[in-house]
Amino acid sequence: MKNIVAAEKKKTTNKYLYLFAFLPFVILVLLYELVPLFMLIIDSFGSDADSSILFTLENYKKIFTTVGYQKSITNSLKITFISTLVGMIVAFLGAKSAHTSRGKCRSIFMTVLNMTSNFAGVPLAFAYMILLGNFGVITQIANLYGIEFIQNFDLYSSKGLILMYIYFQIPLSTLLLIPAFNGVRREWQEANMLLGGRESTFWFKVGIPVLLPSIFGTISVLFANALCAYATAYALLMNNFKLLPLDISASFTGDIASKPKFGAALSVVMMVIMCAVILIDNYIVKKTTTWKTR
Amino acid sequence: MNKKSKALSNVFMICVIVWLLLPLAATLVYSLFRNWTEIVPKGFSFNSYITIFSNPRFISALYQTVLLCIIPIIITIIVVLLALFVVTVYFPKLEKYVQLLCMIPYTIQGVILSVSILSVYGKAGGFFGNRMVMLIGAYCIIILPHIYQGIRNSMHAVNMNMLIEAAEMLGASRLYAFFRVIVPNIITGITVSSLLAVGILFGDYVIIRNLSSGGTINMQIYLYQAMKRSTDESSAVIVVIMLLTFAITALVLYLQSKSKLEKIQKEGR
Amino acid sequence: MSYIRFENVNKSFGNNHVLKDINLEIEKGELVTLLGPSGCGKSTLLRCLSGLEQVTSGRIYLDGEDITDVSPRRRGIGMVFQQYSLFPNMSVKDNVAFGLKMKNVPKNEIDEKVKEMLDIVGLSDKIDQFPMQLSGGQQQRVALARAMVTEPKVLLLDEPLSAIDALLRRNLQIEIRRIQQKLNITTIFVTHDQDEAMVMSDIIHLFNAGQIEQSGTPVELYTSPATKFTATFIGNYNLLRAEKFGKACGAELDCADVAIRPEIVKMSREPLEEEDYYLLKGTVTNYISHGNIIRFHVDCGDVWLNSDVVFERELAFNIGDEVYVGVEKNLIIKL
Repeated sequence: MKNIVAAEKKKTTNKYLYLFAFLPFVILVLLYELVPLFMLIIDSFGSDADSSILFTLENYKKIFTTVGYQKSITNSLKITFISTLVGMIVAFLGAKSAHTSRGKCRSIFMTVLNMTSNFAGVPLAFAYMILLGNFGVITQIANLYGIEFIQNFDLYSSKGLILMYIYFQIPLSTLLLIPAFNGVRREWQEANMLLGGRESTFWFKVGIPVLLPSIFGTISVLFANALCAYATAYALLMNNFKLLPLDISASFTGDIASKPKFGAALSVVMMVIMCAVILIDNYIVKKTTTWKTR
Repeated sequence: MNKKSKALSNVFMICVIVWLLLPLAATLVYSLFRNWTEIVPKGFSFNSYITIFSNPRFISALYQTVLLCIIPIIITIIVVLLALFVVTVYFPKLEKYVQLLCMIPYTIQGVILSVSILSVYGKAGGFFGNRMVMLIGAYCIIILPHIYQGIRNSMHAVNMNMLIEAAEMLGASRLYAFFRVIVPNIITGITVSSLLAVGILFGDYVIIRNLSSGGTINMQIYLYQAMKRSTDESSAVIVVIMLLTFAITALVLYLQSKSKLEKIQKEGR
Repeated sequence: MSYIRFENVNKSFGNNHVLKDINLEIEKGELVTLLGPSGCGKSTLLRCLSGLEQVTSGRIYLDGEDITDVSPRRRGIGMVFQQYSLFPNMSVKDNVAFGLKMKNVPKNEIDEKVKEMLDIVGLSDKIDQFPMQLSGGQQQRVALARAMVTEPKVLLLDEPLSAIDALLRRNLQIEIRRIQQKLNITTIFVTHDQDEAMVMSDIIHLFNAGQIEQSGTPVELYTSPATKFTATFIGNYNLLRAEKFGKACGAELDCADVAIRPEIVKMSREPLEEEDYYLLKGTVTNYISHGNIIRFHVDCGDVWLNSDVVFERELAFNIGDEVYVGVEKNLIIKL
């Protein structure tokens, strides 16, 4: 028995030996997540023109005073907001429909959502060009019959981007919301009916409040998804459009001179926007779900 | 009233289905016909498909895409499994830090991740400066949130702590219990999350564009280049990409429904 | 010297002092129950004995050895958890064989022992099935077999029946008791159900807020609760302020409270005239049928009493009936 006790003592020191198994994770995260992010922030205060300057706010000043970059930020925000909003509304109605209906329609709906959830980026831009581009099928048909609003629609603009962004937001947001709707109990709806409430009463008084955490959780995912989307916009417009991700990427791998320090500052701006949205989001969730914490 | 709302739901879902399928259908039709400027397309042929599959560059892109999916996923699964084992069994207090680290990539996404890695290792020589290494590193990080959540959720679903305790009471070491009892039980969850990761890596354009030196291309890059050459060819490439993605999605749905079925059977008892 | 001994065992989780100076001895071959409301520390004590939790201070001895610092896998203790602790990817056979494999028992011996043990728990026909194909009760019997097949020094049962429905539960209680007595295995059983404790145990240790409130055989605990807590937790005692009860029957009692079992409260339509009885008068306000026993609620002015009457031919009293109530003096428990 004494041996066992001695072996035990050895075992407690062995516990720290297990940290070796933790090491690969630490190395991976350090090398490809933390160090690059940290360096990016440091770099953003450097100067592309003079590498001896270690701290300057020049890059940030340039971002906020140059019309072109202001335009990038506002364009990014505009497209992100609109696509997120529309995506959420469609997702809410879609998830609600899927919740109400239990038939074949629902299973087809789910399959299509899953199928199209990965349809974004270059393929999406291409498909829209086939449909609504200058020589797109729908455009041709519209020309044939003189349907003006389609004829006037310019795919190669922020309108076109918004349309495509909405497209890739819908499957993602709906798939994220559907499980949340399972938390809305049928019994609650029945109780509401028996107590004399309308369906709309139920959704505004009970349904939406219960779903709020999921709704806001989904909003931050959608926001990140749209704000950082690169391929869709690039495939459609190359660098001929002012958008944050396009600018960032161009500063590092641009055809002309690359300006990584400036690009770093742009990246930091984008990250700050992202973090701000997440913080606001969390704050709203906390404020609106007081019923969850007794 | 109930019937009406059900009908309304179905109409809404059908609208969304049509809206979502329209671009896919258009691409499919486009790839199969030579001429589509009026409502009815003309000139059915498989030529575009024959063209791409006889192009060695396409085959190589396909091959590299698969490779670039598999390697990072395997690395990430092993790394996360080891980390979660150590953390949940020995250092539960570290769990929230691991979670935080795993969720950061969610918010930075491809653009920032790729440029930040590029600016650190882009000019470095040797191992770290190797574009392939940088690419794989970035891919590991970008799928980290999905793999982490997949593994962690399935660990919770099988009630990992109780199973490890039970095995321990029967004389097994925790390491043995983890790999012999827990891992076999969460293998479905791991498969599902790695298939989801395949979907993400399959659709990546920005990371590989920023990090690859040009020699390494995946399907998305190939597609982008093809778009400049010929629209017929690119529509065929998209159809191939979509078919592969659907196959993966179908597999995911099948695995999920299977494990759900098991759960229902279990709870039905 | 006793087989298992807890010596001044303390356990805290942060500021939460869950076990307070527990001293407890358990004899070989006994089935001992740790009974108490949830959060009273009974499960924690069990987990300390198993080694799944480390004690904050104190020592634990098993079979004469200090096992306080020994790892769970070397303590030679078997344990059955609440539910779903079977390895879902392994068949019943592999689950039961798991512990033997860990001990490097030769394969033919394993097969033999697994079969034998499954025979004992009555599940020989399920040997190749998977846990998910079994009912909750069957799963727990497999878990029992799995814990016992390695012939542990002690068997720990941590509320193993709490997730099982009532009827099956009663059968399993008797079953577990039968197997325990057959194999003469020292067993510690944790439950919050007093009926279950009564049915199964040799000795019950009643826990309250991290301490042992009272220990004894089921009969001892039932017939002579030492504290108010025991009286409320065990049985359906009438718990009254002694002052009020004394006033109602015109007597002086030298204690704070009295506990009266409902079955010793006698009711009659005629005035009772017995020497060694406390006598009261009241009105029947309600009754509840517990199958063969009818429990009457009697309003005696300042005090309310429950009285159990065995149901014979017809209801002995009706709501609103004036009744005379008598309680035998030396059966009253003074607290």
